[in-house]
Amino acid sequence: MKILFLMEKRHNAGSIHAVANYVRAGDEEGHTVALHGRPDPRLPEIRFSTDLEAFDQFVFIVESGLCWMSALRMPRLLSSVERDRRSILDTDGMYNALVSVDGYDRNHATELDRRSWLEHYDLISDRVFQPTVEPRTQSVRSLLFYGYDPGSTAREEHKSEKRFDIVHLAHNWWRWREIDSLVLPALEQIRPSLDGIRFIGSWWNGSPPPASDPRLAAAFQADPALLERLGIRVEPPVPYTDVIPSMSQGRINLMSQRPLLRHLKLLTSKYFEVFCADTVPLLLMEADQAEAVYGPAGRHLALDDSVGEKILDVLARPDSYREIVETVRCHLEEHHSYRQRIRELVTTLEASAADRQFMSGSR
Amino acid sequence: MNLLLVSRMDRFARAVSTITRYVEVGRDLGHEVAIFGEQLSEPSVPCSLDVESFDYAIFVVYDASDFPDLPYLARLLDHMPKERRIIIDCLGRYNETIRVEHDFNHLERLDGHQGWEWVEGFQAVSDKVLQPTLSPRREDVTSFLFHAYNPAALSPVRSSAGEAAKAWAGMTDTAKEYGVAYVGNNWQRWTQLRPFLEAVAPLREELGPVCLAGWDWNKQPEWAIEHGLKGADVDPELLEQLGVETRWAIPFDEVIEFVGRSRFCPVFHRPLFRELGLVSNRTFETFCADTIPLLMLPEAFVRQIYGDAALALVPGDDVAGRMEDMMCRPEEYWHAVLETRQHLAEHHSHERRFEHLLGLLDS
Repeated sequence: MKILFLMEKRHNAGSIHAVANYVRAGDEEGHTVALHGRPDPRLPEIRFSTDLEAFDQFVFIVESGLCWMSALRMPRLLSSVERDRRSILDTDGMYNALVSVDGYDRNHATELDRRSWLEHYDLISDRVFQPTVEPRTQSVRSLLFYGYDPGSTAREEHKSEKRFDIVHLAHNWWRWREIDSLVLPALEQIRPSLDGIRFIGSWWNGSPPPASDPRLAAAFQADPALLERLGIRVEPPVPYTDVIPSMSQGRINLMSQRPLLRHLKLLTSKYFEVFCADTVPLLLMEADQAEAVYGPAGRHLALDDSVGEKILDVLARPDSYREIVETVRCHLEEHHSYRQRIRELVTTLEASAADRQFMSGSR
Repeated sequence: MNLLLVSRMDRFARAVSTITRYVEVGRDLGHEVAIFGEQLSEPSVPCSLDVESFDYAIFVVYDASDFPDLPYLARLLDHMPKERRIIIDCLGRYNETIRVEHDFNHLERLDGHQGWEWVEGFQAVSDKVLQPTLSPRREDVTSFLFHAYNPAALSPVRSSAGEAAKAWAGMTDTAKEYGVAYVGNNWQRWTQLRPFLEAVAPLREELGPVCLAGWDWNKQPEWAIEHGLKGADVDPELLEQLGVETRWAIPFDEVIEFVGRSRFCPVFHRPLFRELGLVSNRTFETFCADTIPLLMLPEAFVRQIYGDAALALVPGDDVAGRMEDMMCRPEEYWHAVLETRQHLAEHHSHERRFEHLLGLLDS
C-alpha cells in the first residue's frame, strides 16, 4: 500500500518521529509511506511527496491545531483525493464530546469551538482514528499508531555519558499543574541528594508563544523562578532526531503527559521514545495504564504519590530498574513495534476500503 | 453579471478601498457585486454566502488567509465551478520564489507555505490568474491592473493649476498641517523611506512637519523580530532625530482626506512590486488627494501608468532640490498633477477596470 501522511510540519513536536518510523518500517514491510510536501533538511529521515496520484490512502494527522490545513493547501487535496481515500488520525482527542479534566485541561474551550473543529473533520473524511484502545465516540476507531523502534534503542553496551540525574523532555503545554503539584515538591525534598536536573522543551520560561489565544494562558503557565531555585536547567526543544540522545543523558527520565491525553488514554510518541533512550523512565501515569501499554513490568515504573522515594530508589538500585526496563522493551518489541503498527495501519485502511465497497454495492 | 469577491476585508490594509469601489461601480453599471461571507458591519458592503446566485467568484489574494477557511471554502468550491473562479494575485504569489532586498513573494517561516504550494494552490482553485502588473512573468497569467483611480473622490476639486497652487501654498485655504505625509504600513518600505526622510530633513523649516501613518512605525514589531525579518525595520531614534511624527494606520475611507492635509505625499512601491511592476491602490489613490504626489518610482513605469506629464513628479536623485523647486513654482507642478489626473481618469478609472474585468471573464 502507498500511504501519504499530511500534517503540520514540526521538527521538534508532535508526531513527526512516528512518521519517520513509518517511512522506515513501511520500506521493511513492502509499503511506501511519505509525508506531503517537499524534502526538508530539518527532517532528514522522512520521504516527501507532492504527487497525490501516486498514493492509495491519505492520512491527515491532526494534532492541536487546524491552521496548517490552510485554505491555500486544502483545495488541491480536496479536489484531487476522493473522500473515501482520506482518513484522520485525531491524536489529541478533539473528535469527542467536550471533555474538561478537573476544570483545567480540555479538548475545546467551548461547544462552538468543538462544533467548528468537527465540521472541519466531517468535510475531510468520515473515517476518524484515535491512538487509544478505547475511543469514547462510537464512530471513532482505535488505531494505536505510535510504536516502538527496537533499532533506535540505546542499549547499555552503548552507554551514554550521564550528565543529569533527571531529564524531563516535553513542552510545557498543560503540564504545569502536575509538575508543580506533584513533581517539584518531591524534587525540593530530595534536591540535596540529586545531581543535575534538566527540563527540555518550549514554554518553561513562562512566556507563551507570541499571539497565542488568551484562553490558553493556563496551558503555558510556569514559574521560572521556582525552577531556577530548584536548580533545574531549562533548555529549548530539540529536533526529533535528538530526542533519544537527549533523554539518554539522564539517569532517569520523567515521562509526563498532558491531563487530557492521559484522561482519554491516548498514546503519543513519547510513550515509546523514552524506552528507546538509555535511561530509566519513570511514568507519570496510573499503574493500570502503564501495565496496559508496557506489560506487567510497567507497573514498577509508574509514579504514585511517592515520587521522591522512587527517584532515590532508582538512583540507589539502577541495575534492578534496568532489568525492568529491559523487560518492558521486550514487551514493546513484541506488541508495539513500528513494523506491527504499519501492518495494523494497512489492515485498518484496507478494511475501511472494503467496508465502503460493500456499502456502495449494497446501495 | 453577478460577481462574488472573495477576500479578507481589513479597513486598514490590502484591497478594501478597491473592493468597495468595485461594489459601487458594479452597481452603477447594472451589475451586482458582493463580498463572500457573513454580513460585515464595517465596511458597509453587501455580503453573501449564497454562492450559486453569482456568476463568478473572484478571489482577491494577498495572503493565504484571503481564501476562506473550511467550511466556507468547501461551500465555494462545491457551488462555484472551477471555470467560473478567478484569482487576482495582488502580490505576485503565482510566480517562482522571488527575493528582492529583504522582500519576497513566498516565505515559509512567515506563513508556513513554500513557493510550490502557492502555485499548486492557485491551480487547484482556478485556471485563470490575473496579476495587477502590465508585464506578468508567467505565460498563464493575464495582466489586469485591478486597482484604479476614482475622479469622484477628488477632494477638493481644483479647476485650474493656479487655483490648486494658491490653495496648496496656503494663500486661499488654511495652511497644510504637514509638509509630507506618508500613509502605508511598515512593511518593506523602510529601505526607501529612510533615504527619503534624510533627504528632506534639511527642508524641515520651510516644509513643515513630516508624518508617517501606518502600523508599526514606532518600533519594529515583535513578530518580525521573532521571524528574523528585516522587512519591518525602522529606526525610531532616527525618526525622533528628524522630527518625524508617527501615528497609527488610517482607515481606508479617511486616507484621501488625511493625505490632503499635507503638501507632499511620496508614492513608494515595495521592492517586490518594483521587481514585478505591480500596482497597488495607493498607486492611484494618492492622485485623489489635495497634495503633490512625489513618484518615487522608475521613470519607465511612471510613463506607462501615469503618462508623460507625471514625469515632472519624479524627483529622481535630487529629492530635496525637486521639492524646493516645487515650492518655488507650485503652479507648474500642479499642471502636471492635473494632467496626470486627467490621464488616470481616461485610462485607469474603476469603470474602465470593471469593463476590462468583464471582458476577461467573457474570454
